[in-house]
Amino acid sequence: MKKYWKFTAIIAVIVLSIGTFYVNSAISADQNPEFVIKKESGDTKELEPLVLEGSYQGASSGNYVSRDLKITRQGTEYRNPSFLNRLIGSPMPVIESLQEQYRGFMRGKSPSENLFFENDRFLAYANVDYEIGFNSRESKDYTFEIDILNKKEDSTDSFTMKVPDANKMDHVFVDDVQIINGELNIITENMVRDNNSDRLYGEKHIYTIDMANQKFIKHEPIIKEPKGQDNTHFDITFIEAEGSTKMHEKLLFLTTEREVIKDRESTRIGDTSREAISYNLKTKEKRRLSEDLNLEENEISAFDGSAIYLTKVNGQKVMVTPFHLEKKQLGDSYLFQLSDKPMNEVPPLIKIKDGKLYAASNRMNSNTTASVIVADLKTGDSLFKGELRIKNSEDEIEDYDLYIHDIFVK
Amino acid sequence: MKNYLKLVNFEFNRVVKLFTILLGITLVVQMAGVIVQSREYLGRANEKMNEDLMSKAQFLTDYGQISFAHIVRSVWFLGPIALCAAGVAFYIFLVWYRDWVGKNTFIYRLLMLPTTRLNIFFAKISNILIMTLGLVAFQLILLPFEALVLKWMVPDDFRNDMGVKETITSIPELTIIIPNSFVEFVLYYGAGLLAVAILFTAILMERSFKWKGIIAGVLYSAMAILVLISPVLLQELVLNGFFYPMELFVIEIVMGIIVLAVSIWMSGFLLKKKVTV
Repeated sequence: MKKYWKFTAIIAVIVLSIGTFYVNSAISADQNPEFVIKKESGDTKELEPLVLEGSYQGASSGNYVSRDLKITRQGTEYRNPSFLNRLIGSPMPVIESLQEQYRGFMRGKSPSENLFFENDRFLAYANVDYEIGFNSRESKDYTFEIDILNKKEDSTDSFTMKVPDANKMDHVFVDDVQIINGELNIITENMVRDNNSDRLYGEKHIYTIDMANQKFIKHEPIIKEPKGQDNTHFDITFIEAEGSTKMHEKLLFLTTEREVIKDRESTRIGDTSREAISYNLKTKEKRRLSEDLNLEENEISAFDGSAIYLTKVNGQKVMVTPFHLEKKQLGDSYLFQLSDKPMNEVPPLIKIKDGKLYAASNRMNSNTTASVIVADLKTGDSLFKGELRIKNSEDEIEDYDLYIHDIFVK
Repeated sequence: MKNYLKLVNFEFNRVVKLFTILLGITLVVQMAGVIVQSREYLGRANEKMNEDLMSKAQFLTDYGQISFAHIVRSVWFLGPIALCAAGVAFYIFLVWYRDWVGKNTFIYRLLMLPTTRLNIFFAKISNILIMTLGLVAFQLILLPFEALVLKWMVPDDFRNDMGVKETITSIPELTIIIPNSFVEFVLYYGAGLLAVAILFTAILMERSFKWKGIIAGVLYSAMAILVLISPVLLQELVLNGFFYPMELFVIEIVMGIIVLAVSIWMSGFLLKKKVTV
């Protein structure tokens, strides 16, 4: 054995040193504070389906850290950036459950919620594919890639269709996919080149496809950027409905027109006017909603397919008003007291699910508190009201920021 | 097994000098780096505070505290690591070629040993791994001592203490040799072992067929790399993302094991049948 001492020693050193390092780093606790939702009134059970996703930024022993986290009723879970987690990625919950249920169909499909549609008969997917040309001005040969899973027959229909007038287009993005009355509707954002002025104009376009014969029934622009207005900046946003994989008869768009004032020395933005437009997929009709919504004062916070939820921040209070698209009228407003400490004028994050409204402030630090509210939309009653807090008061630190980026309701 | 261990020990004793020299250089240069850099920092602090009459608070806001991260990012620290890496890379070739050159060709005696010749291959590759991990382990042991020296050198107010784990995670250069998780550690060094196995096979091809062997070795290495990346190429170019990331990962590991097995088999074959003294 004496002969082997050097060899034995080096093996022992390797195992001990590297082993201790990884064992230590595995058991050493996260030094970042744990956030909890502290009840002020109501029933904590209402929090069960709620997930707040955000990031924590702070200084730990002089070192700047930024960590992604999830806050639920149970507490805080810092996202573990382990190798395998990073490898698998974290698709949206809707996509994750679709991948579990239809593993074969979901293969090779881009994991974005807006590219999918699901009802009890079909699971449909549409995306735009293109060949990359040698220079960006070349036409890119845009094609729709469409896959439709018939759930009852368990059969998949896959086909591709050339995007009409693709040679004029610079970009095509799919905003939404919907099957209505057995017809597949693909709503896209197109950037169309205007040959006369050599400029790109944005438009929202709808393509209606006969699924059985794999033919276009009709395609038309829904909203187009007006031409010949060089001193304005025009922007069309598609407002994704809650659970955009589910069926919605109505789509919602928001256009923003900003006046661009060019001085000799600078360029600045002048007056801004906004307009909301709804589009009915059944009748293919659109309607302007601006007067009803009063967008000068209100922000559109959520859209659940039948009602638009408008918010208006006033000091520490937030007023939420639903607008019912079918009845074309505003519903009763609810007033929520968000926090006792001063907060920024950014409206809270709002999610609507199963007749309940979930709202959370989007920022918290040692000067501002963040509220979490669950309310019944029919009665306007508050079901839960609470605040985000750091669990252990000895973990309280001066300099940190908690940002909530998104809220999910399971 | 016993023969294999004997051979590993034997091979280790042959490299122990080079290994100790590398450890020594690392120790001396890194320690010197800690001392030189903290003195430099303190010197600057003295100059600013005594000559330019800057207040201590003002100095700290302008120049910041010194932390171990500053020291790690210097040539004093990363230089020895690079030297050790180069040393190991050099030894991958030397471990074979030293047996052929010299007064009495040592490989002759090695090949005549009453044991399977594949054991020579295993002993040499184990040695490369032991040497590499030994250097990493030594660096891990050295880190807290270096931090201690920094503590002695610099007064509390000017210093920002960091733990070993913190030091490593905050410096991307160090996460290459010491990854954040054990899974990554196994994957990184597993991939390294695979690369060494492919290189060994190429070296044995050269030893067996001389000039023609060099071409064969290069071709073999290129083939091995192609086989290894073929799942990713297929996924991107032909299958349009057919596999889920986890499946692709498992396929890659299987591919790695296959290439490793083929390299070992090929090396065994060359050692038994083709190698010339």
